[in-house]
Amino acid sequence: MTDKKTALDAQTIAPHGIDKQALDKQSLDRQSLDRQSLDRQSLDRQSLDKQAMPTIKQGFWRSKRFNIWLKKRVPPAKVVTLGQRNIFILPTGQGLYFVVLIFFMMLAGINYQNSLIFALAFLLISLFIVSILHTFRNLSGLTIQAGQAGPVFSGQDAAFTVTLSRNGARTYESIVLGWHADMMQGADLLDNTEDQARLYVTTGQRGWFNPGRLLIQTNYPVGLFRAWSWVDLDMSVLVYPGPVAGGDIPVSLVAVNEGEALLKSGTDDFHGLRQHQAGDSLRHIAWKSYARTDELLTKEFNSFVDRTVWLDWDHFTAMDPEARLSRLCFLVVQLSQMTDDYGLRIPGILIQPANNPEHKNKVLKALALFGLDPDE
Amino acid sequence: MSSLSPVTGYEIPRNSLAWMLFAQVAVIAPHLVRLPWWIIMVCFACGFWRVMVYQGRWSYPPRWVKVCFVFSGLIGIPLGYSKIYALEPAIALLVIAFVLKLLEMHHKRDAYIVILLAYFVAITEFLFFQSIPYTLYMFATVVMITTALIGLHQTKSHMKPLQTFRTAVVLLAQSIPLMLVLFVLFPRIAPLWSVPLQTGVAKTGVTDVMSPGDISSLAQSDALAFTATFETDPPPYGALYWRGLVLSEFDGKSWSQAPDLRRSIWRQGEAPPEWSNNLSYIGKSYNYSIIMEPNQQSWLFSLAMPVLPANRDYVILRDFRLAAVKPVRQRIRYALRSSLEYRIDPQLTNFYRYRYTRIPAQSNPQSQSLAKKMYREASSPQGYINDVLRMYHFEEFVYTLKPPLLGGESIDEFLLQSRRGFCEHFAGSFVFLMRAAGIPARVVLGYQGGEYNPSGKYVAVRQFDAHAWAEVWLEDKGWVRFDPTSAVAPERVERGLEAAVAGENTFLEGSPLSIFRYRQLLWLTELRLQLGSIAYYWDSWVVGYTPDRQMSLLSKYFDRMNRQRLGSIMLAVFFTVLGLLAVFILRKRSRAVVAPLDAEFLKFCRLMQKRGCARKTGEGPFDYGARLALYTPELATEIDSVVSEYVRLNYSCAGNNSAQPNIKSLRQMVRALKIRALTTRV
Repeated sequence: MTDKKTALDAQTIAPHGIDKQALDKQSLDRQSLDRQSLDRQSLDRQSLDKQAMPTIKQGFWRSKRFNIWLKKRVPPAKVVTLGQRNIFILPTGQGLYFVVLIFFMMLAGINYQNSLIFALAFLLISLFIVSILHTFRNLSGLTIQAGQAGPVFSGQDAAFTVTLSRNGARTYESIVLGWHADMMQGADLLDNTEDQARLYVTTGQRGWFNPGRLLIQTNYPVGLFRAWSWVDLDMSVLVYPGPVAGGDIPVSLVAVNEGEALLKSGTDDFHGLRQHQAGDSLRHIAWKSYARTDELLTKEFNSFVDRTVWLDWDHFTAMDPEARLSRLCFLVVQLSQMTDDYGLRIPGILIQPANNPEHKNKVLKALALFGLDPDE
Repeated sequence: MSSLSPVTGYEIPRNSLAWMLFAQVAVIAPHLVRLPWWIIMVCFACGFWRVMVYQGRWSYPPRWVKVCFVFSGLIGIPLGYSKIYALEPAIALLVIAFVLKLLEMHHKRDAYIVILLAYFVAITEFLFFQSIPYTLYMFATVVMITTALIGLHQTKSHMKPLQTFRTAVVLLAQSIPLMLVLFVLFPRIAPLWSVPLQTGVAKTGVTDVMSPGDISSLAQSDALAFTATFETDPPPYGALYWRGLVLSEFDGKSWSQAPDLRRSIWRQGEAPPEWSNNLSYIGKSYNYSIIMEPNQQSWLFSLAMPVLPANRDYVILRDFRLAAVKPVRQRIRYALRSSLEYRIDPQLTNFYRYRYTRIPAQSNPQSQSLAKKMYREASSPQGYINDVLRMYHFEEFVYTLKPPLLGGESIDEFLLQSRRGFCEHFAGSFVFLMRAAGIPARVVLGYQGGEYNPSGKYVAVRQFDAHAWAEVWLEDKGWVRFDPTSAVAPERVERGLEAAVAGENTFLEGSPLSIFRYRQLLWLTELRLQLGSIAYYWDSWVVGYTPDRQMSLLSKYFDRMNRQRLGSIMLAVFFTVLGLLAVFILRKRSRAVVAPLDAEFLKFCRLMQKRGCARKTGEGPFDYGARLALYTPELATEIDSVVSEYVRLNYSCAGNNSAQPNIKSLRQMVRALKIRALTTRV
């Protein structure tokens, strides 16, 4: 139980940080990814309580026909207010146990001809029925608004912001929302009229990622019924290719500066030493210093000419496109931490060298959407 | 973001846990009196352990401790109860399972099981008690259990137990209309199979053996025996002889039933026995119904002489008394028609003549010779009876609740020496004198009188109304009732026991707190009668709402009532009420939401308005504050602090809609201002 929780915390704390292990093991084979997430889901289902239900169960709820119907009934929108049209309500497993309890109470009442046992059984029946109204009421009128989500690398958890708000005096309690059973968030709207939830969802392939319908549910107040809705907030997040380490920053890359072609090896003037970083060229390691101090340092050189690096599609030969994109992505991440300008040259796309966050996003977006329909 | 938290789903919120422990104590408490002591110990041990776990001092018990608890419970049940297949052991088992589950309650699912068990334990209490206070108590426990259930589904950040309680009250209050619909209209059906009933409950009321002293000890109790509701005005007090048992065997000391006379029964739907022809009704009859408290006995009380009831559970025996097929273990209701004038057994066979004159030959010789002497002097049986009654009246016989203890020849001692006795002494000695003179006679046990409740229009008969009298067989007249007590203390028969023993102040002597001792206080009597009639309506309309009663009630309002029709009426009414409830619960509340901060400021404004200086429309807090300071200079500092604090709080969280400012400081300032305003009132 505790292990599970810490794992969950770690995930939620650092959603944007690059998970080294995940990067090493990253595989863009879609099938294996799907299998992984499926395994995870089934594992969650075993270990977690029913409360945190998997978002969409097997069977009827997944059937194509139901989803077409659902799309008509609850069409995608940035702001959704829950009401009769889009709230579903059914008894929970607990509710069924409750019915069994009432059945036994009625049996006792009949066999002992005891009016007061009947009275209590009837009270519980009424509670059961009235709780339908209350559970429904606890979702009805709630407004859900889609927020922004920052881009992530493939396989990471994307964080979506969703705003819940109420209008009127009705309060809401124990609202649970999310896409994945183990990443559900709870929310209360009691004193506050608005609340923001940060929801995490594990992403898959690069490109525009749509997390699908958001499950929003409640079984407050008595847990005998579960009211829920699947809202499509028309949200999407850009998923960059998963970075895969791909050796050195290419030295043989050609820099183009105002038509002047120069071989820039960056060895003009020694400038100083800095900590060695993965990806630094072996040739720049200060071996003498290493021999003296056992510390791995990289020699830094100042070029009088701005160094530019071209990330070229053809630099990686004998690789399928996805593998190339992953390696290029890795290099972009590396280069963005350095001072060198870098440009991108992949089939059909040419991005002039620069080095700033916007440029990085632009390059990564180009990698993410390579070969895909950008409006998708 | 404050209220948002990852849903862990399986931990029990403490809010719920606390309510669960409360509810559990409340639910088990009434059962403690019926449980063997070691089960009580197990209950306490489990409860204590759980509280320690709740407080974080102890951890959950190791497996072997749980095993010990389970075994002590399981062994305890057969040791503690003589019968295994009975109600009490079953409930004990339920209670043990209930408390042991406490120690295994880790997840929400366990807590849910505990809650379901709690509901079930709550209903079992109704198998033992059904009075209004008990019902209110059990419904209060149901509210607590429901609170725990709601708490279970609240987020962990919710830490307001009283608010949860309020939600439970609201939820159950909204359920009550539907409950009432179901209670009245749900088609009740007869028991599906026979179930174990409570055992070991003391038999109460008159017993089937009468020896001197029995009834006078019964007369110390003010417990209700039964209530009788008459369709018309009830008969006069002196005619309320509730005939219960007929005792025809005498062993020299005590009177008892003749077992063989119980064998032949007269039952509705079966061929009437030959002796049923010996009964003829004369004159006016009364329709009435009796709600009898459970007394674990099988005899029923009726005004002589009842017509055979339609219900097959009630039969008439050879001595023309009413009996139940099964002992009365639960409150029952039976409708009767009685004719106060009747004739039974106008002719008596020699067998019965012998039976009803039989006395042990050697017993009470002085009384036997007295009887023979008096019978010789009297000219006829009727004359002899009159002589005996006259003897009780004119000689120094005393009717007392404290008769002296009598030895072996009790009738001799009573008639010739002590001469102080209660109704059983007079009835016993009278029947003995009759039999000694060769006149068939028998003792009848039952109740005489009862208190008429004018607001409820019923007669309540209590244990202190228990009475014994005699029936004497006269040629052609059959069995005739004679009450020798009335010869000594006519007020007993006319006005009841209290009046009869008023001189010696012994009425309910053993129970000084009994409300019946203070009948001279009129308001108290009035209150008692009112409470009594409420309890009576409760018993007859709620507790006694049986299938028969439901049908007879609903037939008054609907034609051609049957179960199917009842079911459809129920559904129609149920969904109508549900629709109204839905409109009520789901109605849009357009009332504007006032933020707590603004609410506090508005409170301040109202306070100042009361002082005579209302805020103008559109006036800002600073302007208003400045105006107030001029208006009431004595409060200027307080006003200033409230206004500036309000403004500070209002702007400190501006632009951040979800953040809630801490209004505690403002609240304190407003409160301080209020106190100051009160003390400096002009």
